[in-house]
Amino acid sequence: MNYLQPERLDRLAREYALGTLVGPARKRFERVLQQSPAATLAVGVWQERLAALAHGVAPLQPRAAVWAAVEQRLFAAAPSAPAQSAGQMGWLARMFSARSLGGALAGVLLCALVLRIQPGLIGLEPQTETLPQSYVGLLTDTSGKASVLASSRRQGRVLTIKLLQPIVVPAGRVAQLWALPKDGSAAFPVGVLPASGSGTIVLSDTSEKLFFNVARLAVSLEPAAAQPGATPSAEFVLSGHCVKLW
Amino acid sequence: MTSNDDLAALLARVALRDRAAFEQVYRATCAHLLGIAFRVLKQRERAEEVLQESFMNVWHGAAGYRPAVATPMTWLINIVRNKAIDALRSGKTEQGSTFVLDEEALQVAADEQQQPPQLLDDSLTRLKIDSCMAGLGAQQRQALALAYYSGMVHTEIADALNAPLGTAKAWVRRGLDKLKGCLEAAGVQSA
Repeated sequence: MNYLQPERLDRLAREYALGTLVGPARKRFERVLQQSPAATLAVGVWQERLAALAHGVAPLQPRAAVWAAVEQRLFAAAPSAPAQSAGQMGWLARMFSARSLGGALAGVLLCALVLRIQPGLIGLEPQTETLPQSYVGLLTDTSGKASVLASSRRQGRVLTIKLLQPIVVPAGRVAQLWALPKDGSAAFPVGVLPASGSGTIVLSDTSEKLFFNVARLAVSLEPAAAQPGATPSAEFVLSGHCVKLW
Repeated sequence: MTSNDDLAALLARVALRDRAAFEQVYRATCAHLLGIAFRVLKQRERAEEVLQESFMNVWHGAAGYRPAVATPMTWLINIVRNKAIDALRSGKTEQGSTFVLDEEALQVAADEQQQPPQLLDDSLTRLKIDSCMAGLGAQQRQALALAYYSGMVHTEIADALNAPLGTAKAWVRRGLDKLKGCLEAAGVQSA
């Protein structure tokens, strides 16, 4: 069969690009593709047309673990930052290693930012001018100066952290973020903050589940990252309201 | 920040093993690409696996990216969509027992706005070719939408729309022809 006869080539390229060419016919055409620039080009033209149909698909933010896994699989042999502590919370320490801060964690924020600033990049126009339903916390230091901005989508599992001023964390301590429930029950640990810049904290559940009944967020300087069930062992150095943005 | 030209430049750097560029490509495109994989697989976990696999390919295959053949976004979409469709077809048999949707996934899956016919309408509106495509019948549009967004093959489309196989094939073909005509008429740059 002459695959390169123009009409036949266009039909096969079209079905191949769409995904409706299946079984042995697909395998045969893949062999043609390897040898024929004309066939590759014909498929490319159809892929370009079909990509236009992706414009309406709503973006879905991957969890931070996806990028972490990509890095792990590709670059694990050459770790660029040592784990800062061992034990059960070692993964958390690794998440906050220097490179990850510039990377995996800030990334969720950047990804969202890029799409917000450049929606035309992938044909996504903002669907609404209003901010998404989110939980937001603004923490101030004891002098009332704004220090930390924490935000997370209502159904999200990532808390985005932006430090408005660096936190002075003594050696051997970590800046532990706590959530304080409205009913006055014990504070529970959320995660460890970076000392400066920005980052994200992977939450143990959705924001809605964790923060629905939370009135305030606070930070204490703990000797180590708090385990689930732990309570603050030091005074709060930062605190602020946790509010629903809807 | 990251236009298609910038993405092409970043991919060229990825081909030279630039990890920072690789990460920038991921950050700029991950949410859109996961959305596409999720439409096909309807399961966040599996869609995220596909995204992960896809970026392994991006790292190893960036040198094979040809700007003359596809825009960077189209190239990335193809990698992800093909992997998602492969995962969908290879997982068909076990789907019944392993189909677990998390809460967020359920919300997205049930979202009327994200059903294939609506997605097609939205995409065409954004491309400003909706009036041109209005010449297609509802079934032709639906057939095209099921093939593209859900990764269905002709037999599945025929089943879903309760039509003979030959008819379903003709609907898809007609939908594609119309899409080609409308995009060319509008001079749309697709990605």
